Amino acid sequence: MHSMPFLRRTGWMASLLAMALTSRLQSAAAVDIAAGMKGYTSAVKPFFAAHCIRCHGPEMSKGKITLHSIDGDLSAGQELERWELILDMLEFGEMPPEGEPQPDKAERQAIVRWIESGLRDYVERASEVETVPTVRRLTNFEYQNTINDLLGFELDVIRNLPEDPLKPYHFNNTAHFMMIGPEQMDRYRENARQAMVSAIVDLGEPTVYRTTQTWQPGSDLTGRLQPDEIGVYHGPGDGSRSFALNGFPETGEYRIRIKAAGILPAGVEQVPMSLVMGSQLRSDAGTGNYKTVATVHLSNSVDNIQEFEFRGRIENHPRHVFNVSAKGAKPPAIYVTARNLYDNGQLNDHRASAFDSSWSFSAPRVVLRSFEFEAPVNDVWPPEHHTRILFDSPLRTSDPEAYLRDVLRRFITRAFRRPAIDAEVERFVRIFHLVEDEFDTFEGAVRETLVTVLISPQFLYHSASTDPQANRQYELASRLSYFLWGSMPDVELMALAAQRKLNDSAQIERQVLRMLDDPRSARFVENFTTQWLSIEKMHAVNINQDLFPRFLYHVHVGERRGQEQMFRPTIRDYMHQETVGFIGELIRRNATVLNIIDSDFAYLNEPLAAHYGVEGVQGLWLRPVAIKPEHHLGGLLTHGSVLIGNGTGSAPHPIYRAVWLREAILGDDVKEPPAEVPALSDSAGDAAEQAVTIKDLLARHRSVESCNDCHVRLDPWGIPFERYNAIGKYQPSVPREGTRVSGFSKSRHGDYEGYRDYLDSIDTVKVQADASVPHGPNINGMRELKEFLLDSREDDIIDNVIRRLLTYGIGRDLTYLDRFAIKQLVDQSKGSDNRFRDIIVAVCRCETFRNLPAKGE
Amino acid sequence: MARKSWQLSRRDVIRGAGIALALPMLDSMSWADSLTPRQPPKRLVVTYISYGVYEPEGKDGKHHDWNWWPCSEPGELTFNKSTAPFEPLKDDITYLRGLDHAGGYAMGGHSSGDVFGTGADMSGKETKNNISIDQLAARHYGHKTRYGSLVLGSEGGTGSYGMAKTLSHYGPGRPIPAMHRPQEIFNRLFRPYAEKTVNDVRAELKREASVLDAMLENYKQLHGKLGVVDQQKLDEYLETVRALEQRVERTSAWTHQPLPRVDTKGLNLDASYTDPAEYIRCMYDLLFVALRTDTTRFASFMTESEHSTGNEVGAFATRVLGYKGATHDIAHKRPEESGLWDNWRAQQHAYFLNRLRDTPEGEGNMLDHSVVLWGSAHPHGSHNTRLYPIQIAGGNRLGMKHGYLHDFRDRTEDVPLANLFVSMLNAVDVPVERFADSTGRMIEVLV
Repeated sequence: MHSMPFLRRTGWMASLLAMALTSRLQSAAAVDIAAGMKGYTSAVKPFFAAHCIRCHGPEMSKGKITLHSIDGDLSAGQELERWELILDMLEFGEMPPEGEPQPDKAERQAIVRWIESGLRDYVERASEVETVPTVRRLTNFEYQNTINDLLGFELDVIRNLPEDPLKPYHFNNTAHFMMIGPEQMDRYRENARQAMVSAIVDLGEPTVYRTTQTWQPGSDLTGRLQPDEIGVYHGPGDGSRSFALNGFPETGEYRIRIKAAGILPAGVEQVPMSLVMGSQLRSDAGTGNYKTVATVHLSNSVDNIQEFEFRGRIENHPRHVFNVSAKGAKPPAIYVTARNLYDNGQLNDHRASAFDSSWSFSAPRVVLRSFEFEAPVNDVWPPEHHTRILFDSPLRTSDPEAYLRDVLRRFITRAFRRPAIDAEVERFVRIFHLVEDEFDTFEGAVRETLVTVLISPQFLYHSASTDPQANRQYELASRLSYFLWGSMPDVELMALAAQRKLNDSAQIERQVLRMLDDPRSARFVENFTTQWLSIEKMHAVNINQDLFPRFLYHVHVGERRGQEQMFRPTIRDYMHQETVGFIGELIRRNATVLNIIDSDFAYLNEPLAAHYGVEGVQGLWLRPVAIKPEHHLGGLLTHGSVLIGNGTGSAPHPIYRAVWLREAILGDDVKEPPAEVPALSDSAGDAAEQAVTIKDLLARHRSVESCNDCHVRLDPWGIPFERYNAIGKYQPSVPREGTRVSGFSKSRHGDYEGYRDYLDSIDTVKVQADASVPHGPNINGMRELKEFLLDSREDDIIDNVIRRLLTYGIGRDLTYLDRFAIKQLVDQSKGSDNRFRDIIVAVCRCETFRNLPAKGE
Repeated sequence: MARKSWQLSRRDVIRGAGIALALPMLDSMSWADSLTPRQPPKRLVVTYISYGVYEPEGKDGKHHDWNWWPCSEPGELTFNKSTAPFEPLKDDITYLRGLDHAGGYAMGGHSSGDVFGTGADMSGKETKNNISIDQLAARHYGHKTRYGSLVLGSEGGTGSYGMAKTLSHYGPGRPIPAMHRPQEIFNRLFRPYAEKTVNDVRAELKREASVLDAMLENYKQLHGKLGVVDQQKLDEYLETVRALEQRVERTSAWTHQPLPRVDTKGLNLDASYTDPAEYIRCMYDLLFVALRTDTTRFASFMTESEHSTGNEVGAFATRVLGYKGATHDIAHKRPEESGLWDNWRAQQHAYFLNRLRDTPEGEGNMLDHSVVLWGSAHPHGSHNTRLYPIQIAGGNRLGMKHGYLHDFRDRTEDVPLANLFVSMLNAVDVPVERFADSTGRMIEVLV
């Protein structure tokens, strides 16, 4: 038994069929098949009998697909998923498999047309009656952003929520992922209470907390670090300075002012300093929890000390909780840690040596002269986030009940993303009166009432109304804003919905472009890209440090020796940003989507550039960098995030990479390995012990017939990646089997260049990266793979991006019902060079996205 | 590498926690069941390990030493290297070879963990999963304790279809999120009122009941304006509100009972993934204390979940063994790594069983009054979904008998794992004759 990886796409059919059918006479005349059951009996069924039933019939049901008993009447609406699968298989040419007799091209096309028209007829009728789910809970990501935008400040409210499920290559905003239960509801309530305590202040003079620290320059001229300087992370040193706040309020905005400068060696233009606050950070024990205040890039010298100011909310910073001692419990504290984040991508060169002071002394330093903390700071009192809810009004004293109604109406309208309904307002008025006795102040009772607004289904769920009276343009406003901002609509969208002017193609285009230009769209790019490309898993891959001694910055001493240095951005964080930033850049430029296969730029910062071997990039911020062929970069396929996430940490993993390519880029649904198949190593028998790479193991796995059925369609897509190693670097040769490789040693290799020479000097073999893709040519390496994808699979790639965007945008899986809407979007996209931004606009303008009854209402 | 002495002494302190609890236990017993005051409670626990176990075909030599199964022939138990931690527990455990859930066959090895506790046929649809045995027991007797059940996991949450991070399900398509943060679990169990007085709590509960009524109206208003498919989805919200209402009633009732006095001494509630042994033991400690204080009687603990390559749990073996590859890949390795990893997991579970057995209760000990399942729905690295590794422990005073390995592989009639479930449920007085695809009881473990 084997599973049948199926391909959902159209495309490259013509060229493929031409290859597959060279031995056959091609009939130019179109074959016509009568519509409906008549055609089924006369042509379709005999076609199945001739080409399919042997493997997909009563005798054998490969991939658990059988065709002998399928209902030939498509208008009955039965088994249409199965029909769509058959359609894809035939259209794409996936079936019958290579090596089996192939049907005549015209005949195949006629069958394709017959199925397609039957499906289309059904879909056109069905779209009037079949409803798709619209109710779905806000994802944690949406919930967090909505609370932020509703309150008007950032407040971390998802730390205690159960994590939303992540499924590789799926978006988690679809209804079936978003469950709710009593446990979840408890957390929502706790969070809502916390949010209300922060948003609505107690009137009266707040206690102000201040902390001031200063450091003086030293007089030591030996080159050692002075009291006001912070050195770079290097070896055992972690380049930081910590101190505790004297005191802080429970809630409120804080202001931090620092005076700082950089000491920069020649050629270095700036040194990044980050300020974080939270618990005590213990690199040795690996404990600590913090939130970043800010990162500044210091380019001013000590002759020109500058002042920087940062703002934030104190409740977002984790507290340091002390152990209870005999004397009782010490109150929680907050520690400030200032760090020198300078990173040229080579800080781990001196791994085997102790702290190399000479290098470190010449590295950029941060000079921190003073630190001032004050909280709460309020430019106006009560703060704006308070008056947004409890606004000034004469009613407040003259008619408190009317004031309460106004307060509730305004808040509910924003929280529910549509105008509050009278009955609703009254219900919350009743809740107010239920709880008011428990609270000493009006503010307290309002807080508790608004908490119940924030756990109402109208807040927690997206939904579409069936009420004919409702103005459903508000739904469109929300759909747009949750798609492109991951949050509630802003004033402009709400106003357009109120005027019923939003459901209009030109208006939607205007809004989408405006929204993409808004910084909030960064949330969409991050969330969409991360899930679409399934890059999260890269962070947890265990890197083999014997093979890759320089990749991670690790702890050199103590219990955590050999583990990755904590509390600072790592190369993998930058790789994540590289992928997200690359997609963001394509959208910003409105560049063609095909850049995901190959591009003339990469999105890098200094550590990434050092990793990939690109010269001339300085600083930690990522930016587009022009690349050359010898960098072996371009597109997404060579991103560290993809290559590491789909490797083992020691070796490339062609299956993982093949699955990634087919799922994330070509849009196939690759089935899980089926039960009952032997493991890779088992199938290879004793030979497994000798296999050097997974690729070799796979070759042996494929020699077992039941394995070959699937792997012959899978492995070839992953093998061309083989020259990119487990840490995502281009590595065309590897040590010959059995060769001993020593890790980096300063005494033997001197510096990194020396180590590279050493690696080149040992006995290596060239990596083989050639494979024949199913129904396609032999492909050797990444360059040829990219060329093949661009030449032959363009339609699949575009179709996939459109499907991903639409799926994410409407929060449900696409079905055969959406098939024709997508086809239209693909055609439209190809007509405009497949530009990314244009595609997003087109997706938002299509009827499937709008999901509103009548245009223009 | 030499162990630092304080590490040893801290472990001793943890063991000490059981002694400190002896007194509150007596208190709680008196209210637990006033009709039969001195009858120890009957408990049921389901635990899970992932990524398969090592079970080579060879019957001797180094392969056998590291086999997850303690002995190669059925009969009285003898122990190999892999299972050595269980040797002192010989009279309290049974190994059952050749059992599985037919409902998980089609799911693939990395996914059949979803149905380990339920035995449901879940192929194709999430909503086809069904109630798990711990929850069925809780439905019968959960009202006797402050919490009907305790659902733990090392990753927390429910996971998604085919990637469960919990063993417990209320019913079809209703997984129960597992709790995984030790401090949070402790607070939930033993400090439910935080700093408030019981009177405050009662007043609050009363208010909450009224607020929930209003929430129900919110639900009705929205529900009425939705299409049928959407209404079904929103029913989850309704169920949630109803469950909260029931909890309010239940909590109110329990405010009349004193909380067990449990302090955190000896519990390392800060244990984190970076120290898997500390973390897993802390979770087992919490589970033990919850059972000991009769805070709950039914529990599940997914010590590892499948599909954890994306997070720290996936690095457990790496941290424990200093293994350079991914934990997942250990399953694809040869004897030593696999066996050492199985042995480590055996140590953790044996620690829990030992704590139960070392705690006297009634005429015997706690383990005698508890049935504890340990195993996996993912037998081997080959993504197989058949013939699970299964160990059942405890219940010597609930009609169970132990000390053997039984092999069902060559039986003429299939014996489903669900038969064991029926007998486990019967042991804790749940009067069922069938569960999932069961065909009878598991007579091999019955006296």
